Amino acid sequence: MPLRRLFAISSVLFLLVLAISPAKNALRSYRSLQRQYRKLASSRAHSLKSAQGYEARPVAIQQIWLRDFENRVDRCTTCHLGVADPLMAGAPRPFDLHPGTPHTPGGFDRFGCTSCHGGQGLATTQPDAHGSSVDAGPPMTPPVFIEAGCGRCHLSDSVAGAPVLSRGRALIARAGCYACHAVRGQDAFRSEAPPLATLPLKTGGAWVKRWLKDPKSVDPNATMPNFHLTDQAIDELSHFLFAAQVPKELAGRIEAAAAEPPGSSANGKKLVSESRCITCHTVEGKGKGSAPELSKIASTASRGWLLAFLREPQAFNPRTAMPRYHFSETESRDVVAFLEDEFRDFDAPKDILEPLRVNQSLAENGRKLFRLYGCFSCHDPAGSGSEKFGPELDGIGDKRAQSLDFGRRTDLVRALPAWLAAKLESPRSFADGLKMPSYGFNADDSRAVTTALLALGAQGVPDRYRYAPPQKPALLPGGPVGSLIQSYRCLSCHQIGDRGADVSTAPLTYEGSKVKRDWLVDYLVLSYTLRPILEERMPVLRMPREDATQLADALESFYVDPSILADPFAGRPASDADPAEGQRLYVGLGCRGCHILGSSGGYYGPPLTEAGKRLKPGWTYAWLKGPQRWRADVRCPDYGLSDTDALRLAAYLETLVPVAPSAKPEKAARGVR
Amino acid sequence: MRIRAAALALVALLTVPAACTRKSAPAGAKTPAAAKTPVVPPPLRYEVRLGKVTFTHYCQTCHGESGAGDGFNAFNLDPHPRDLSDPQFQKKKSDAELADAIQRGGAGVGLSALMPPWGHTLSARQIDELVLYLRTLPALRKPST
Repeated sequence: MPLRRLFAISSVLFLLVLAISPAKNALRSYRSLQRQYRKLASSRAHSLKSAQGYEARPVAIQQIWLRDFENRVDRCTTCHLGVADPLMAGAPRPFDLHPGTPHTPGGFDRFGCTSCHGGQGLATTQPDAHGSSVDAGPPMTPPVFIEAGCGRCHLSDSVAGAPVLSRGRALIARAGCYACHAVRGQDAFRSEAPPLATLPLKTGGAWVKRWLKDPKSVDPNATMPNFHLTDQAIDELSHFLFAAQVPKELAGRIEAAAAEPPGSSANGKKLVSESRCITCHTVEGKGKGSAPELSKIASTASRGWLLAFLREPQAFNPRTAMPRYHFSETESRDVVAFLEDEFRDFDAPKDILEPLRVNQSLAENGRKLFRLYGCFSCHDPAGSGSEKFGPELDGIGDKRAQSLDFGRRTDLVRALPAWLAAKLESPRSFADGLKMPSYGFNADDSRAVTTALLALGAQGVPDRYRYAPPQKPALLPGGPVGSLIQSYRCLSCHQIGDRGADVSTAPLTYEGSKVKRDWLVDYLVLSYTLRPILEERMPVLRMPREDATQLADALESFYVDPSILADPFAGRPASDADPAEGQRLYVGLGCRGCHILGSSGGYYGPPLTEAGKRLKPGWTYAWLKGPQRWRADVRCPDYGLSDTDALRLAAYLETLVPVAPSAKPEKAARGVR
Repeated sequence: MRIRAAALALVALLTVPAACTRKSAPAGAKTPAAAKTPVVPPPLRYEVRLGKVTFTHYCQTCHGESGAGDGFNAFNLDPHPRDLSDPQFQKKKSDAELADAIQRGGAGVGLSALMPPWGHTLSARQIDELVLYLRTLPALRKPST
């Protein structure tokens, strides 16, 4: 009898064990969520029929099959049931409508959820799907870094609609991260850091030591990070730097310049303000700050070096963005005399520019440190070979937290974003002997850089979803014109094809179709402010007229766009195209809100007072037919003008020529400030 | 017999917890210093943030950062740009009216032509986002004005 009883009990137990698995499934939280959703949605429904439709929906796992993304399956919509349902706008999580983005609601079927948000699409419980349980795969990207998702496919430096990502990518390039860390597509990156060969004749031991201690305390614009060196290491590195062999030719230039008689400081002051140095440099913090602060430059560099550098910057640093100014011998002396008089650190010790007497054994230790800290990555990239100094960053965005070395940082959340942010903030805090310097990013910068790093994922993105901007031919000429473009560093501010920086907002790719040659020659010889709202102005490069002519001719012949008509008036004079009606349009459309014409108008767009002297009518016409075609982010609105009206306006602008030749444009531009 | 039954029961009891494991695993070092992460919840909804980007890019020069009509270019304009942060003005205008004025410009709705029409430049969706952002402006208004 007891045997039977025991058998009965054990059978019941066995059945119970068997029932666990189906019971677990029946009790899954998504089931109750789906029932809640049915109730909520049917209460929000506008018609009985749609309410019944919601009621009739079976409780089941929902999924999106991402055929293009490695056949992944996203089951997020099992709980997030209302993401594509406009009825659910403002409903509580997880039932709410997904905000409208460029890919939603239209792209749910193609992109699913995980291609932007990360996380584990296949899981059906919240901890597994969101990645908060330890044995789940990489977790979801936290919402503050969501633009990292955009960056997985959108590979260009600047991504429209993703300002944080774009800013992060710009910061990474400016900080020079690519010099030490390999990232796909950034192999061509070269730091602008100066070669150090002429340092012994440029500055003094005291200055170098200050700089190595904390570059940003010497110059707030410094891109060089803080390496947290000990005083001994600083001493050894300084001795190494002063032991460098200065190339004979440059040493000769510096010494000859140092022996020249002093110039006129008063004239130098005038030249400095005319040359618009603060387009790139700052003076006591005023200016854009892409180049070094100038207010203490005479306590940074010796007179001879300054003079020789100013005459040909690119001989000293082939990677510099600084153009060559055509000052005469006397003028450059005047400029340096002014810098020596005014731009000096009056609190600095007297010997700040005294060269260091080199101790060979200290210098030898310094040489080792120079290698140890990877200084060559920025300062002497040719000497570093092909291998990068730091670990590669590709795929870092999909690293699992378990594979990261948190070292001493037990205070951190065990998650990739927190690890990255801490690496950026205090890279040496993880363990002893780490070499990465600190960049002094503020909270916003750090968030942007972390976003850009999280975008460097390893997960498969199909090639046809990767978007890099189409490569436009660079169209860079060789020969004498090429060397002019090089020496005036046009590409430091202007774009040609896909090369160059976009400081000026005016690419030169189709400059020949845009402006009239004679105007361009005059402008290159004596440039003036075209767009007063921009802080960066075209510097007065003191270009000789023959250089200006040669450049203008090259732009006129090569940098043209075939879709811009050379003569939109088809052989007839502009006056046939009804410029009077064009003028009425000019007033009626409100163009004067942004453009100066004569004595009135806004300060936004370029002044049009002498538009007929500057712009080609074919360009004006093409521009008016759709400004955004020429520059996607331009603020000049597309008025949707008819061909006739655009032609009338072009004809009107063509009639706007200076009445009597005078220095009027420059005056108008000055009056603006 | 008894031993066998006990063994059976034991096996049964052992399978129960085994079938129930794989809960969310120990949270580890999750709790300390959660405040250290740079995670700050975004104050604006996504669409509104997009609207703000559009506003900053296209409108701010005249209408000003806070929409008060005091942008860099405002003093060149006669009439001055509208104070968009004025709660009275916002109450008077429906979303559709605001979107229409942005789309067709001042001249399109019988006001000054200095406000250009944006219908060919911005998409309908961008304009809707812009309106959403405009609606947040009165709340950002400084109490002094």
